[in-house]
Amino acid sequence: MIKIRNLHKSFEALEVLKGIDLHVRTGEVVVIIGPSGSGKSTLLRCINRLEKLTSGEIIVDEYDINDKNTDINLIRTEAGMVFQQFNLFPHMTALKNVTLGPMKVRGISRREAEQLGMELLEKVGLKDKAHCHPNQLSGGQKQRVAIARSLALKPKVMLFDEPTSALDPELVGEVLEVMKTLAREGMTMIVVSHEMGFAREVADRVIFMDEGMIVEQNTPRELFTNPRNERTISFLSKVRSPIE
Amino acid sequence: MAGHFNFKASVIWESIPILLVGIKFTIFITVFGLVIGFCLGAVAGLGRTSRNPLFYRAAGFYIESIRGTPLMVQVMFIYFGLPLALNMRVPPLAAGIGAIAINSGAYIAEIVRGSIQSIDIGQMEAGRSIGLTHFKTMMYIIWPQAFRRMIPPLGNQFIISLKDTSLLVVIGVGELTRTGQEIIAVNFRAFEVWLTVAVMYLALTMTIAKILRILERRLEIR
Repeated sequence: MIKIRNLHKSFEALEVLKGIDLHVRTGEVVVIIGPSGSGKSTLLRCINRLEKLTSGEIIVDEYDINDKNTDINLIRTEAGMVFQQFNLFPHMTALKNVTLGPMKVRGISRREAEQLGMELLEKVGLKDKAHCHPNQLSGGQKQRVAIARSLALKPKVMLFDEPTSALDPELVGEVLEVMKTLAREGMTMIVVSHEMGFAREVADRVIFMDEGMIVEQNTPRELFTNPRNERTISFLSKVRSPIE
Repeated sequence: MAGHFNFKASVIWESIPILLVGIKFTIFITVFGLVIGFCLGAVAGLGRTSRNPLFYRAAGFYIESIRGTPLMVQVMFIYFGLPLALNMRVPPLAAGIGAIAINSGAYIAEIVRGSIQSIDIGQMEAGRSIGLTHFKTMMYIIWPQAFRRMIPPLGNQFIISLKDTSLLVVIGVGELTRTGQEIIAVNFRAFEVWLTVAVMYLALTMTIAKILRILERRLEIR
């Protein structure tokens, strides 16, 4: 589904990604962990070209995203993005947030779009909030609307950029539940997150990134119980709560 | 020979019907000047947020040259100067509307630019991430939000432009100030007439402020 070869990304003199190779299979759930500044978010943002690559290659569903002939807007509908700060459109209701893409990108009718929108809001448990504006929603509800908004384009892969990091602790669960449902339905997902519980339960593979490189990757069970790299061990010891 | 000033209220009542003719011109010039000015300002403001270097520089040249020169000079240039170069007469009303439009456009451009740039970058990213083009994201997501933020500074500019129409006396447009001058030329009652003119401007600017407050409330995010 996604093939990344020797990806480099620099912001002026600062090299953020230093040669990333990553293949993600259809239906696979990959969780990326790592300290802040390790390039996790940048990697995710390169996949739907919110960031331009400096060098290397990214293939999403057979399309080379750097190819001039590739319609980048098409790629972006194939790879839905969920942001840490939700980025809902504040001047539109929840339903409009969801239907805008299908109507203005896919060109389907309002009636069809609203039917799809209501189905998706129901799926994320917010059918009764369809006509609320984002400022009437809690953080967890906003993020669930944002997920519905991405799903409305029927993407083949979902990219989650720290989807629960801006949430109050008691609201994290409802968002993770929606993500787990997606994973169970076979959605291909790349998730940048520090939710170790989620990674352990849902991920097929956990990737540890540091300083712009993939340091270690393995099944969650292996990576969490038996990390091999020094930096992985050190990172995991810092993020684990003492109760675990 | 200190003159004894006595206030004559009757002068005011007699002036009002004549001044109302002037007010019509003032409103006409202001409305058309600002409608065109807003279009110019929107285009130039978008130019200042554009990555196209030609568009960006052209907008910059327009804004800087207009903001950097007095309106009075612009008015006289359009009315007395341009006709010589173009070899055609420009009617005073058209010159007046043109001057107000071009002048307000430059200031409105900065209002538009500032409002657009104040919208969180995440909004553009979210729009692009669902596959909208840059243009459609601007149209459906950035502009509606930016427009709300433009209203208070636009109100300011509208009021300034309305008052600026009084400068058009230099090219003989029969707007409110010009009408006042003409009445005084006949009756020499400067105190009463200018007081009336001032109150009329105040009534106009307060109306603009009121309309914009209503608009702002209507567009508020519920």
